[in-house]
Amino acid sequence: MRVKTPQGEIVDLMTINLGPSHPATHGTLRLFAALDGETIAAAVGEMGYLHRGFEKMVEQGTYQQVLPFTDRLNYCSAMMNNIAFCKAVERMFGVELPERAVTLRVILLELSRMIDHLVCNGANLVDLGALTNFWYFFNPRERVYQIWERLCGARLTNTVTRIGGMYRDTYPGFEQDVLAVVKVIEDAVTEVLGLIERNRIFIDRTRDIGTVGAAEAISAGWTGPCLRAAGVDRDLRKDEPYYGYETYEFETVLGTTGDTFDRIMVRMYEIRESAKIVRQAVARLKPGPVNTADARLSLPSRNQVYHDMEALINSFKLIYEGVRPPAGECYDAIEAANGELGFLIVSDGGTNPYRIKVRAPCFTQWSHYPGMLTGSMVADVASSLGSINIIAGELDR
Amino acid sequence: MSAAADTACPAIQAGLTAEAILALLAPLGGAKDPADRWGLTVIVPREQLRAAMQLLRDGETTRFDLCLDVAGIDYLGYPDWRGPRFAVSYPLKSTVFRHRVTIKVQVDEDDASVPSLHDVWSSCDWAERETWDQYGIVFAGHPNLKRLLNHHEFVGHPLRKDYPCQKRQKLSVNDPMVDQLQAKLRALGYEILEQPAVTPGMPLTQKEIAK
Amino acid sequence: MVYKPVPATAAAPEVNLGDAFVTTTVDAVVNWGRRNSLWPFPFGTACCAIEFMGMVSSMFDVSRFGAELVRFSPRQADLLIVAGTVTYKQAPVLRRIYDQMLEPKWVISAGACATSGGFYDCYCTVPGIDEIIPVDIYIAGCPPRPEAFLEAIVQLQKKIDRENRNERAIIGGAA
Repeated sequence: MRVKTPQGEIVDLMTINLGPSHPATHGTLRLFAALDGETIAAAVGEMGYLHRGFEKMVEQGTYQQVLPFTDRLNYCSAMMNNIAFCKAVERMFGVELPERAVTLRVILLELSRMIDHLVCNGANLVDLGALTNFWYFFNPRERVYQIWERLCGARLTNTVTRIGGMYRDTYPGFEQDVLAVVKVIEDAVTEVLGLIERNRIFIDRTRDIGTVGAAEAISAGWTGPCLRAAGVDRDLRKDEPYYGYETYEFETVLGTTGDTFDRIMVRMYEIRESAKIVRQAVARLKPGPVNTADARLSLPSRNQVYHDMEALINSFKLIYEGVRPPAGECYDAIEAANGELGFLIVSDGGTNPYRIKVRAPCFTQWSHYPGMLTGSMVADVASSLGSINIIAGELDR
Repeated sequence: MSAAADTACPAIQAGLTAEAILALLAPLGGAKDPADRWGLTVIVPREQLRAAMQLLRDGETTRFDLCLDVAGIDYLGYPDWRGPRFAVSYPLKSTVFRHRVTIKVQVDEDDASVPSLHDVWSSCDWAERETWDQYGIVFAGHPNLKRLLNHHEFVGHPLRKDYPCQKRQKLSVNDPMVDQLQAKLRALGYEILEQPAVTPGMPLTQKEIAK
Repeated sequence: MVYKPVPATAAAPEVNLGDAFVTTTVDAVVNWGRRNSLWPFPFGTACCAIEFMGMVSSMFDVSRFGAELVRFSPRQADLLIVAGTVTYKQAPVLRRIYDQMLEPKWVISAGACATSGGFYDCYCTVPGIDEIIPVDIYIAGCPPRPEAFLEAIVQLQKKIDRENRNERAIIGGAA
């Protein structure tokens, strides 16, 4: 494509498609770029290659049936989506969860955040050519999956929560397993940091690459680690605490310039902060129920069902019809691994959700991504894409 | 890496109450939406949307600098619904104050159009494209209102309540996207002298599509 | 060099070679080679791709089965692993990648979505990739465990073992 540049030069631009099936796009993204030599003159992005109709499908079933769909939004940290959705519906009901359920959810949230960051950084480092770190990160991640399996039977798509509590209580030895795996993850992070933090090649490949400053990131709607990398100290766990996060001792990790290096490092250090939270939460874990006693949400015990007519009817209605949140519209969000994960739920008072809109943190990050590439080198496309952690399932829904 | 304590970013400040935000939007015709019983949703007339949004973004006491999402809602078949068929919700939050508000505009089916906010928050650009794609609500003034999630040969708007869930539409060949790239180059000051040869790839044959 | 025909009276040559000589069919040798050096192209779109990464990583270690050399160019790969949901927007891309692969080529459809559309019975999802390309092995699961991926590769190896070179030549144009 022959063009005249703003400087008045006449050059031939090469157009190149990156994706939708490209190793560095981590899923199904498409970037269409015009290159002037190795510099990107302009790029446009496309998404929707994994648009599976989440928002249409969930309108067909009950609220409980939405849970398996939420697993497949951000499949690197499925439990976070479960918890975010349940928290939004529980807010509509106005129920308080028992203490054990809340503490368990905090443990699962933070462990999920850790493995999400492990996958993101591990895969990003592969794109930079540092394959070893991928193995260092994937082994502890497999250990976490073993805990998930013992907890609920599934590795990746867990559906571990229910509206009003958890699927079930933990298995004996859960606390020891969690503490052991946290240690393994921390060791892996230390090892990888030792390999990359002062590594000349790594720093040259990431410092001042893909820089998104605070004002730009805020206008683009960025949240989470990518916004914190630009030096904006905003974290829903601190700003609008839920599940008692204000009682845990941890720090938000901030970057300075908002380049790829900062985004990778914010995630690295957030793993350590999450480890602190998990340790405190495990220490607080007291025996108790994991489901609310609210009859609108929780199934009665088998004993009650066999001996009490009301309990039998309630159990039947909950299973065959599902829960009925009050009519209205509610937006609720948590701090997920990628940023603010919100659910806008419109209920008509019936058993099926009338409308659920997912506020996916990747969406704003990906929509800004093609613009931020202008003027950068084509070799940096992969590293800056990996550092904003696009998960196609959540992006396209 | 630095911990939160030794950086310049200030801690979050207490925000406005719901009453204060409502009082601020009342001159622009803003009214509380009774449907949102958990947070604050304000219904703003379509004509005042841009003014209200700019006020919320730039006001010294509001500073709603994050537009989190643009969500369409179709009320066709909602029990006892008498209002316009569509609505668009904008959940906003601030990085300075601890407050949130959702702004909602109601849109009639016959005139499904809302002023675009892509120049107020750049995050609205693609979010509005998604809402156009899924609901067919036009965002007036949007520079590139193209489908986002569905393919370019798609007909109709799937999240409308009258679109059947299982009505599949097949795609023969992907969008080459050359027009979008050229528009972007022109916006950056380039002048296109020669059109490239577009080879969008072999389309799926009619037989394969029919299958 | 002058070719000297073996005298008609001499014994068969393998007699003199002892144990260093094995007779077999061309099919067996070719299939043995193909079976143990599958180069997969991961067409990973969704959750199943994460489990594919799990299969490649050290705990499950697909290199035990000779299929660890992941290629991201369809020209260099002979095994297409479709891991994840395929939408109508993605379908022409998948078809094009399949067409770009050279014979012999095999396809594994990993997970419920690729196999049947899974629980996404919706306006945008292809109800099974066999609407677009031929499939050799289907894996159940949503997503399948890494062990299931390994089982699929073993099953595919058994299938390759039974292949007849001439038949594949007819199907694919060249062997």
